[in-house]
Amino acid sequence: MIDSIYIAWKYVGFNKVRTATLVACITLISFLPVSLQLLLEESERQLLSRAVVTPLVIGAKGSSLDLVMNTLYFGDEVPELIDMGASDRIWDTGLAVPIPVYVRFQARGQPIVGTSLDYFDFRGLKIREGRMIALLGECVVGKKVAGRLDLKPGDSLVSSPETLFDLAGVYPLKMKVVGVLEKSHTSDDLAVFVDLKTAWVIQGLGHGHEDVTKTKDTTVILKRTDNNVAASAKLFHYAEITEENLGSFHFHGDLSVYPITAVIAVPHDTKSGTILRGRYLSKEEALQIVKPEEVIDGLLQNIFRIKNVLDAVISVVALATILALILVFALSLRLRQREIQTIFKIGCSRMTIARLLTAEIALILLMGGALCIALVFLVDQFSNDLVRALFIR
Amino acid sequence: MARITNVPGSTFLSGTLLFAVLILFGVPEATWAGDPDDESLTLYAVNYPLKYFAQRIAGGHANLVFPVPADEDPAFWNPDPETIAAFQKADLILLNGAGYARWVDKASLPRSKVLDTSAGFKEQYIKIKGAVTHSHGAEGKHAHEGVAFTTWIDFDLAGRQTRAIWEALSRMRPDLQDELQSNYVVLAKDLKEIDKAIREIVSANPTQPLIGSHPVYDYFARRYGLTMRSVHWEPDEVPSDAQWAELQGILESHLAKWMIWEGRPMQGSVDKLEAAGIKSLVFDPCANVPDQGDFLGIMKQNVENLKKAFP
Repeated sequence: MIDSIYIAWKYVGFNKVRTATLVACITLISFLPVSLQLLLEESERQLLSRAVVTPLVIGAKGSSLDLVMNTLYFGDEVPELIDMGASDRIWDTGLAVPIPVYVRFQARGQPIVGTSLDYFDFRGLKIREGRMIALLGECVVGKKVAGRLDLKPGDSLVSSPETLFDLAGVYPLKMKVVGVLEKSHTSDDLAVFVDLKTAWVIQGLGHGHEDVTKTKDTTVILKRTDNNVAASAKLFHYAEITEENLGSFHFHGDLSVYPITAVIAVPHDTKSGTILRGRYLSKEEALQIVKPEEVIDGLLQNIFRIKNVLDAVISVVALATILALILVFALSLRLRQREIQTIFKIGCSRMTIARLLTAEIALILLMGGALCIALVFLVDQFSNDLVRALFIR
Repeated sequence: MARITNVPGSTFLSGTLLFAVLILFGVPEATWAGDPDDESLTLYAVNYPLKYFAQRIAGGHANLVFPVPADEDPAFWNPDPETIAAFQKADLILLNGAGYARWVDKASLPRSKVLDTSAGFKEQYIKIKGAVTHSHGAEGKHAHEGVAFTTWIDFDLAGRQTRAIWEALSRMRPDLQDELQSNYVVLAKDLKEIDKAIREIVSANPTQPLIGSHPVYDYFARRYGLTMRSVHWEPDEVPSDAQWAELQGILESHLAKWMIWEGRPMQGSVDKLEAAGIKSLVFDPCANVPDQGDFLGIMKQNVENLKKAFP
């Protein structure tokens, strides 16, 4: 048997192009449905597991899918902004604990999630290294962010400007990394978490600068009255919050009108959740309340509908490929008729010839199978990121 | 779960398993939000009056923490990150509101654990007159306004802050509702008695001009109808010439005979004031833990002190 395999190996090695074509066909036809299934299972796991544990999301009226994808998976599509009053309104009802979320900015390609500390309790996120955010300008990063950007507690991370050419816009904020979260196998691993107020500083709504009521630099003062000092744009704003300048950071106006993207509402019980949902049903209501599980369920149904179509297409292609493979082998046998006769004439039995041909087919199938397994292993390793790239971001 | 019927075998299996897990462990909406357990609650307060109120209401069922050092003004104290972390782990964080404890604006605290005890009377906050604001950016945008924050020496407002604490504790420990309520009623009665006593004292001469040694008496003056203006003197410092000149300027239109101090003033200050015909009395807001006694004892002493100005 070893001899047959050796001769078959030499044969497939000699006919490199033919062998490569056959191996590629077998690999693709087996890899496609398996990897597709793998990715869909991962996408279902990622999307559904997070959606079912997020009871309610409140945001601006519009695409509920964009709202949920941004709030739960920190997707790039930023829904229309709402104000912090939406969170206070939920708190005042006493029906649910509101967790405001502001997902708009990025730092080195990773989403910055401005939220309250309740978010960490709600998601069960624990600190692996360092400590939780305590002061303005601090951030904690997900495990994957820490790995990708090589960050550890004590390092700095600079927020990215929203538009490259916004020269008159807000300066990027240099944030202090104070902690790294434990791996959660969710979108939280890929996010940079800051307090809402820090997110507002990134936006320029909160800022720190020298005390204009005491400054001696008259060139920054536009107008000075008994009650007000108006400063010009020359006034230097701090781009980093430090122990020394923390006291100078402040917010102007009423924080309840400051922007957020959504509020996660955690009702105290099912009845409270139902009552809360009822309060957002009127046509005049500017906000919508959605149950993420229902939104993601709809998305998954569409994905599975597409998957069924893909399954059918792959089945037809697979059948055609298998038929083509049979044809290739049949034609190959016909072309090798003289070669087979020569082998027969030099004394090999029909069984030996059959073994030789079987070994050739088995080797090709084995190579295709091995390659398929290797590719499936690769997809499995990167399925989390692939799903995020394909379905979430 | 109609979706599961659309997927082939393995996905159906994983979906079924997921469903089973959810049935077993439940969606965490009902379990999250820090349900109190049998152990006593840990409460953090940003000033001593709040600590005192909460301790009176909760009795032995709460561990009250007020981490501000004795020699610091809680309104302007800044905690380090470790202390903020301790605040974050509390079951309830008692804030005074009205901009008190400036560090709160720059710290990350869990909203679900924070109780702003003055949130119920925000519309009654007193904006500080004469504070210099600043603006920048677009014209008219971004103006600051200061708010007076010593709310608790208006004993009616103190009562409302107390009520907010009682309601929050009752929500957290419904099993102790009766005990908490009876403690609250006793405390509210004590505060009402002080409120009544001050009103009676002041009614003897409500229009009498007074000087506050520090701008902390806004709510006190409003509640009891006092005609009061403030300087910015410290009890442990003799006023400088500039501060003295400021007082002289005020006295030209505000003929006060008494200055109310937040702490025992230095004898030098007392003598200088007496030479100008102004007597001194102490009405301690008691923002930090007193050297002796407790909040109620200090307030009773304040009431006695106040009688001197309203014979």
